[in-house]
Amino acid sequence: MNLAIVFPPIDEILRWKPLFGDGTFAFNKIALIAFFAAFATLALFYVAGRKPKLVPTGVQNLAEMSIDFIQDGIIAQTMGTKKDDLKWTSYLTMLFFFLLFCNVTGILPFIQMPATARMGIPAMLAIVSWLLFIFMGFKKNGIGYIKAAVVPPQVPFALLFLVVPIEIISTFLVRPFSLAVRLFANMLAGHLLLVTFSVMGHGLLFAETAKVFFIPMTILPLILFVAITLFEVLVVFLQAYIFTILTAVYLGGAMHPEH
Amino acid sequence: MINAFLLAAEGGAPATESHNPIIPELNELVYSLIAFAVLALLFKKFAFQPVKKGMESRTERIRKDLDQAEKAKSEAESILEDYKKQLANAKSESNRIIDEARQQAEKVKADITESANREVAEQKAKATEDIEAARNAAIASLQTSVASMAIELAEKVVEKNLDRETNQRLIDSFIDKVGS
Amino acid sequence: MSILAQAAEPLTSPEFKTAMSAVGAGFAYGLAAIGPGVGIGIVVGNAVQAMARQPEAAGLVRTTMFLGIAFTEALALIGFVVFILLKFA
Repeated sequence: MNLAIVFPPIDEILRWKPLFGDGTFAFNKIALIAFFAAFATLALFYVAGRKPKLVPTGVQNLAEMSIDFIQDGIIAQTMGTKKDDLKWTSYLTMLFFFLLFCNVTGILPFIQMPATARMGIPAMLAIVSWLLFIFMGFKKNGIGYIKAAVVPPQVPFALLFLVVPIEIISTFLVRPFSLAVRLFANMLAGHLLLVTFSVMGHGLLFAETAKVFFIPMTILPLILFVAITLFEVLVVFLQAYIFTILTAVYLGGAMHPEH
Repeated sequence: MINAFLLAAEGGAPATESHNPIIPELNELVYSLIAFAVLALLFKKFAFQPVKKGMESRTERIRKDLDQAEKAKSEAESILEDYKKQLANAKSESNRIIDEARQQAEKVKADITESANREVAEQKAKATEDIEAARNAAIASLQTSVASMAIELAEKVVEKNLDRETNQRLIDSFIDKVGS
Repeated sequence: MSILAQAAEPLTSPEFKTAMSAVGAGFAYGLAAIGPGVGIGIVVGNAVQAMARQPEAAGLVRTTMFLGIAFTEALALIGFVVFILLKFA
């Protein structure tokens, strides 16, 4: 009754060998997926906008719907509807689709590696969002942004000694960290679940003893594998959405600190 | 003993040093940054703007169509108003003409009636006059003829019965009686 | 002396460390998941109530609900990160 189920070391699951190059410029599967996501985002909107028809169909419909969604569902509700706010539609649409394509590789058969389950892409995007909202804060409010960001209105003077350090930490340190970790950990957790059940299924299918007993049991991890894949479809969209909307919230807060 | 075995087993594990999964790896950071930067450079101009422009042009077109429809509608309404006004004008005009004609007819009728009445009255008067004249003439001639006849008759009746003067007196008194 | 040495040795041995890491990892994630689990339940429950009371504000409520979930969930995810740090690093 010896089952050869061994959970592989995490490096074996996540660290991909370089396809070419090494050291700082080692080009591995994650980098490939990142480029694929960038290309897919670009291609989707390029195809949609190449021959705009009066009555949109297919790809054009999808692109227009997502632009409307970003505009009405994200920007209008978190930043505002002024021209300044709507200028971010382009960036946020791009961010959403880039994240979506990076995430969705986790559930595409035969690729099955979410690029965002490595810290590289989430950290990069979180730092970009962080720089953007700090930059926009200073651009819109000048040096007064520091005060607007760290001193909440209507707080008694004595409490400021407590509140200001908390605000500094939560605005300028925790935000990028939580942004990156939220995405990374969600995708990694989903990926580890999938790995767990596929390892289990593999162990049962290729059991060396009591085959009559073990091999039919492969169906159990398979069912869970499919169910978790379906759940991951939801997570893929939700995490892209949450990252985008949080970026919008941070940008809106930096641009209109009075709200 | 067990320790040594474990160490040996660990020695056989992956050659790369253990890496903490929440520390981003530099190569992935670099390549994802390159990919995202390229995307950010190209996306707005080549992918986003055409779609957005398509949407905006559709919005514009729909708005224009609506405006045009609105304009056409108001135009049609003003034309209808015009026609209605013209129709009303024509109707009042025709009413006026009919009224006028009726008045005229009334007047003509009155004129004709009056002239006819007048003529009738004239003719009646003339007829009366003629009758009067004829009667007078008849009376006059009758007087004379009656007188002569009476004289003749009397002459015949009395033949020398009476003298001339008595005769004449008798006749005259007779004529007076007849004439009155 | 030698007994003491024998007693002291397992506490620093790699397998002891691995075992304690695994135990700690399990506790870390398990405990970290309690609070956010309750918290997300409260967030979504109240959001559903709000949407049922004012269906016309459903869009705004949904956006705010996702934001609330995102912030609440962060704690569970930090627990998960600690789990990974302890188990695999």
